[in-house]
Amino acid sequence: MELSTQELDGGVTRVALDGRMDLAGAAAVDMKMNLIAGSANKLLIDLQKVTFLGSMGLRSIVLPARAVKSKGGKVVLFAPTEMVESVLKTSGIDAILPVHHDLANALAALQ
Amino acid sequence: MSTLVSPVSAMPQKDIAKPPSRLTLKSQLDDMALLWPWVEALALEYAIPEDALFGVHLCLEEAISNVIRHGYNGEPGHTLSVDCVSPKAHEVLFVIEDQAPPFDPVSGSIPEEQPASSPMDYLRPGGRGILLMRKFSGSLAYERLPGGNRLTIGFDLTR
Repeated sequence: MELSTQELDGGVTRVALDGRMDLAGAAAVDMKMNLIAGSANKLLIDLQKVTFLGSMGLRSIVLPARAVKSKGGKVVLFAPTEMVESVLKTSGIDAILPVHHDLANALAALQ
Repeated sequence: MSTLVSPVSAMPQKDIAKPPSRLTLKSQLDDMALLWPWVEALALEYAIPEDALFGVHLCLEEAISNVIRHGYNGEPGHTLSVDCVSPKAHEVLFVIEDQAPPFDPVSGSIPEEQPASSPMDYLRPGGRGILLMRKFSGSLAYERLPGGNRLTIGFDLTR
């Protein structure tokens, strides 16, 4: 599981996750995600390259997202695969963390 | 850490050796690393489609981590087994057995499975496992065993 970050215009932090967000994958990115959540106020979590998302991986997205939202920030999820999006919808996460497939819309939602 | 019925080292020769039908895991989360290679080998054996395979991984990870974290309460020194059987064409069943106290994940009686009472509750960790297992499996059945539990998760490979 790999994680990379990019600072975009408008104060947006883009976090790209790459790999399987299973138990091991979640453990691999937890600390970095929490550190990012500590400093970011507009967080775009890029899920394009996430090939699997289980409930343990979901936790690694939800906890940092909660941290950002609790300080008045915004979080969006970007471009999950069909199966990953199904996990997000089934768990109800998409109602709180909006899912966008168009980057412009995702960035607009963060402003 | 592995206690496979037949050695995992035989699996790379997938054209020759069938994967073992049983995987035995210790009651520690890091033993779950054995799941992926085992399930991948079974996917070849039973021609499990990619979408169904996603569901298999998701359900097994959820069910087994539940046994370790809740059933055994995180205590080391226990084991659980996962058997893969195909009772009929286009169906595979994964049967998880443990020796934990009564623990029925299908009933949704786990405290953290209560419905969210406010939007922010959705962001509470946990509480989504049973929803995901119901969505991504074909069937779920729980049986209380003498001294243990059995959870059978079925997948219809034609879907």
